[in-house]
Amino acid sequence: MVAVLAALRDEQCGYTLRKTLAEHGMAIDEGTLYPLARRLESQGLLASQWREEDKRNKRFYRLTSEGALILEQLLCEWQSIDASLRAVLKEQGNGTDRAISASR
Amino acid sequence: MELIERYLQAVKFWLPKEQKQDILAELRDDIHAQMEAQETELGRLLTDSEVEALLKQRGRPLLVATRYLPQEYLIGPALFPIYLFVLKVVALCYLVPWVLVWIGMLIYSPGYRAVQGAHSWVSAVGSLWGSLWLTAFVTTGVVTIVFAVLERTQAKSHFLEDWDPRKLPPVRDPNRIRLFDSIVELVVNLFVFGWWAQNMASPIVLNHPALRITLAPVWSYFFWGFLVISLVNASLAVVNLMRPYSTKLRASIRLASDAAGSGLFCWLLKANVLTEFAPANVTAAKALELTNAINWWMAKTLPAAIIMCVVILVMNAFKVWRATPAGISTHQGTVAAA
Repeated sequence: MVAVLAALRDEQCGYTLRKTLAEHGMAIDEGTLYPLARRLESQGLLASQWREEDKRNKRFYRLTSEGALILEQLLCEWQSIDASLRAVLKEQGNGTDRAISASR
Repeated sequence: MELIERYLQAVKFWLPKEQKQDILAELRDDIHAQMEAQETELGRLLTDSEVEALLKQRGRPLLVATRYLPQEYLIGPALFPIYLFVLKVVALCYLVPWVLVWIGMLIYSPGYRAVQGAHSWVSAVGSLWGSLWLTAFVTTGVVTIVFAVLERTQAKSHFLEDWDPRKLPPVRDPNRIRLFDSIVELVVNLFVFGWWAQNMASPIVLNHPALRITLAPVWSYFFWGFLVISLVNASLAVVNLMRPYSTKLRASIRLASDAAGSGLFCWLLKANVLTEFAPANVTAAKALELTNAINWWMAKTLPAAIIMCVVILVMNAFKVWRATPAGISTHQGTVAAA
């Protein structure tokens, strides 16, 4: 969800959004992505618009101002979790190193 | 292209009505965009089998459509364990007794046997099987409907969130004997002992102008047997009052007492103990007929009595196995010497 919101800071249609995410190592299948985009739109975090491009009607999604606010909060939360996890891993890593040294 | 339209038509069937066209247009665009990307990469149009593979990779139309639908449960994960528990209780407390009563009726009631069309054992089993499935289906259906209604109402009432830790039941100790149980047992057994000693000592148990009941000499065994058993049970209740923890010794005494009581009771049913049952307004021949009929019916109930006694004895044997050797309560740290 964070990745989808972040990728839609620039307006994109569903297919290009999928490609963008896949190129960044976050492949999401269309059966998950489109329903998720619809839910986020119904919550007011995304806005969409049908437009013709390359002789085909496409639906373009973009982040709303409310979505930008939520994205900001989610990124803060994610960074806090990331920092906590790193601290735990570092502590355990030190513990494991001590255990290995002691066994030697 | 026809394959894509067939795929979209199959997805459309399951989609929510108000979003059908919108979702289909987006899906169609996504499929075409994917096809175009592949065609650009290959430098040619996709073959039918490649289109087929592309659609197959997207998933079955029903699964694709359900991802757009709200997640709904007939019975949700919060209520499901309670639902399963209730179904088990219903099976144990309703279906099993229902089968036993059905078998009993089939054995003892020729009229019921005729109504059920069970003239042989094969047709009886067939009839039981059919009735059992119908009963199981109806009971399961009723329980499921009740829980489906609860599922819908609990979202509004929030009764699962509204709870008080202080109202939780106390920690159970299976070896602890409740004070109330011991008092009830003591009172009942003392009453039975007094009444039995007062009224059942003589083989002529009732000598009223309206009715005379006389028992066979073998009655004295039953009289003394039940008298001793009620005395043992009353003594056990007194000990349990003072030391309310089940021990192997006391559980074994209870098992022996119940085994003796069960044996006596089953023997009583088979012993033709009634020698005279004479209401004042019937002839001697009719009274004899009545006496024989009562003895016959008592003997007929023997199989059911044996089943009941076996159940009681198995439960008591389990209590002996479960009881701690010296009556040590694992939860309270209290020690009760046997």
